[in-house]
Amino acid sequence: MKTRILGVVALLAVLAAAANALFVVPADLNQGDAQRIMYVHVPSAWLGYLSGGVTALAGIGYLWKRDLRLDAIALSAAEMGVMFTAFAIWGGMMWARPIWGVFWQWEDPRLTTTALLLALYAGYLLFRRLTDDPHRRAARAAVVGLVAAADIPIVHFSVEWWRGLHQGPTIGSPDKLLTPAAPSQFVIALLAMLGAFTLAWAWLMIRRYQLARIQWQLEEHGRLGRLSAARRAATSTSASVQASTEGAP
Amino acid sequence: MTDVWYVVAGWVVISGGMALYAVTLLRRLRGTRERSLKIRRGAEAAASDEGSE
Repeated sequence: MKTRILGVVALLAVLAAAANALFVVPADLNQGDAQRIMYVHVPSAWLGYLSGGVTALAGIGYLWKRDLRLDAIALSAAEMGVMFTAFAIWGGMMWARPIWGVFWQWEDPRLTTTALLLALYAGYLLFRRLTDDPHRRAARAAVVGLVAAADIPIVHFSVEWWRGLHQGPTIGSPDKLLTPAAPSQFVIALLAMLGAFTLAWAWLMIRRYQLARIQWQLEEHGRLGRLSAARRAATSTSASVQASTEGAP
Repeated sequence: MTDVWYVVAGWVVISGGMALYAVTLLRRLRGTRERSLKIRRGAEAAASDEGSE
């Protein structure tokens, strides 16, 4: 019931924040309407980071406690990571074409490291399919999740460490938190979208975690079923062998 | 293509993608719950059959 309420609140928050960002906040003086893409691009990028952080932390938790519930959290967050990183890339491309004149530039460190992050998350999900043993799978995935998370600070600070097309942080650095390089109306609209998207992410995470738990239970049931069938087959074979040995002259 | 169409493309893919993912997730969750319930009921029925024998 609480999850359902969270879902409704998240939906209403996203609708209200989107209406504000699209119809209330004025267009940017230099970038025009294209700047409105930032209201979905930045929250998507933030949730890509958050998902990666949760995947890594849950992976560390699994390696420490060997609790498969933590692996289910890591899996759920990784799936969110793939989705939101892909959305961030898409939003960035749609903004870049009218502003930079190109959809993509491989020489840009922010773009390239974000593409790498997407590939790492996708690799994480593919890597999980390599083994059926849940504990072996969780342990291996936790290591891949940690490797993927190492790319997050590289993505974030790439605009400060190297030169590229991508601009520096507008509000996301400590010196710009109190004096952002954008009008307050834009910043409030962006923060509202960040909050609304984060609520939606939390709801999706809970639902995905519930799915992962049931899938794991079904997998476990199937494994036990196969094991008991194999035992029954072995018992009946040994009984028939014993009977034929006893019956032999 | 004017800037507005890039805005539309950006917003529609991201918000539509999120909505599509949410709907698919709920459908997957419902289907998996039903499968799990069916298996549990089957196991309970088998256990009660063994008990009556």
